[in-house]
Amino acid sequence: MIKVVLSFFIFIGLALFLISASKKNYTPKPLPFIIPKGFPVPTKNIFANNKLTEEGFQLGKKLFYDTRLSKDGEVSCESCHQQFASFSTYDHDLSHGVNNSFTNRNAPVLVNLAWMDNMHWDGGINHLEVQPLSPITMPNEMGETLDAVLAKIKADENYRSMFKSAFGDANITTQRMLKAFAQYTGSLVSANSKYDKVKRGEAAFIVPEQKGYEIFKANCNTCHIEPLFTDNSFRNNGISLNRFNDIGRQKITLDKKDSLKFKVPTLRNIGLSLPYMHDGRFGDVEKVIDHYRNLDTNLVNLDPLLKKKIIMTEKEKKQLALFLYTLTDTSFTKNKRFAM
Amino acid sequence: MIRVCFLLIFICSTQIIYCQKQVYIKFENTANGKKIAMDETVFTNIFNEQYNISKLKYYISNINFVALYTNKSKNVYLIDASKNDSISITAPKSKIIGIQFQIGIDSLLNCSGAQTGVLDPLNELFWTWNSGYINFKLEGTSTSSTADKQRIEQHIGGYKAPYKTMRKLYLEIPTNYFVKNKTLIIQMDLDKYWKATNEIHIAEKPVIASVGQMASDAADNFLKMFLIKKYD
Repeated sequence: MIKVVLSFFIFIGLALFLISASKKNYTPKPLPFIIPKGFPVPTKNIFANNKLTEEGFQLGKKLFYDTRLSKDGEVSCESCHQQFASFSTYDHDLSHGVNNSFTNRNAPVLVNLAWMDNMHWDGGINHLEVQPLSPITMPNEMGETLDAVLAKIKADENYRSMFKSAFGDANITTQRMLKAFAQYTGSLVSANSKYDKVKRGEAAFIVPEQKGYEIFKANCNTCHIEPLFTDNSFRNNGISLNRFNDIGRQKITLDKKDSLKFKVPTLRNIGLSLPYMHDGRFGDVEKVIDHYRNLDTNLVNLDPLLKKKIIMTEKEKKQLALFLYTLTDTSFTKNKRFAM
Repeated sequence: MIRVCFLLIFICSTQIIYCQKQVYIKFENTANGKKIAMDETVFTNIFNEQYNISKLKYYISNINFVALYTNKSKNVYLIDASKNDSISITAPKSKIIGIQFQIGIDSLLNCSGAQTGVLDPLNELFWTWNSGYINFKLEGTSTSSTADKQRIEQHIGGYKAPYKTMRKLYLEIPTNYFVKNKTLIIQMDLDKYWKATNEIHIAEKPVIASVGQMASDAADNFLKMFLIKKYD
């Protein structure tokens, strides 16, 4: 009897020891999410239910760069979102998916996503965490099923240990995978361009840049609001219907008033994110400015803010472009923390 | 004084525990009065269109019994006609007059990021290109279908006005039902899906796979699909 009682206590003791030991191993390093000086507080705190930690960030990064997440093992998130291009596809109007397929839209930059209310050119994605589900499962992007992705991750010992460090146990779920993704993508903050340095009093614009900034403030910043350079809205900027009959926001809301409305993209790192517009139809910044200069202000559904004709000389156009290039943040595109 | 307070709290809490009872709700999925089977069984809708079913899943959420006082607890269940059609839930012990629940997921859960459990996108009830849950999913084939492979795909979802597809329902429960019974059987009558408030002809709408008027019209029929199965 005593033996039984004794072994019982030993068993309990051992169990308690093991539990405390396993808890002791789970000490993720919390990461602060720093809001850059002059930036607004994000409307939605994406890290409120997803505690930002070094381990979660590293796991998200590994997932982001892993080509095995695609059906043929050739395409990762990074394939279309290259860091040197501010996480867009450099010099490609459309990107390549599995089996030499093409996407239907231009890959946007991944910049300051923590301030974004919704993702995609049409705003179809309502939360940063669920964003990866779309490219992973799209036949012309990564073309894989969620089941298969999870199976591949579960089979990888390295992933199992990384999930354990990030979440406390090796249980690999869709939710945890998506939260890890969001820890990485939500951390991609760019706020150290020349423009930012000027704002902080650490640098000065040269004269044409300053002139360009004045032109920007007079013509562009009602939609491309500083310091994020977007107002997160959807607008019809007079762009014509493309060969894919892409009606933009209307596809999501089914409201005819939203025909050809697309998300106002951030202009941060615009010098690296060529070509431009939702289908990459404009090869350089000056062509984009020309689009607005030559806009037919009588177009139906044109955004009211564009009804006023933009008058700009060729010289002013060049000055505006020079200002826009000051939004390039090389400390972001070369940040080793974001690289694999 | 503090002691008295604690005593009162203790008594109250035991009362609450005492007044709760574990019960079951079984969703009996039927068509043409027969239990729905995921096989070659052929069913016929009111428009004389024949079909069979390969998949039938729907979300039931925020189930609350209506009694003297009503809890407003939040909960989500996934009913899968091929696997799981029963729910275990606590109910007040007496004076239950009815049950309220939602068919579908409320808007908050639709836009709160990555979810798990029954809301895991692995359950194939999450739209990836237009974020949001499919509240009701019916798949099968029909000779009346003009779609590829004569398939039927009724994916009813959408959480934003004016195309919301979650529906709230209240059903009366016979007095003292749970005194004698432990399981409440709610019949899900698929016949009403094709025709109740609105009509869905398979020949016209074999596939509803996105948010919109067709989906919200279909959701209106949810309100007539569920009823308490009567005994005696």
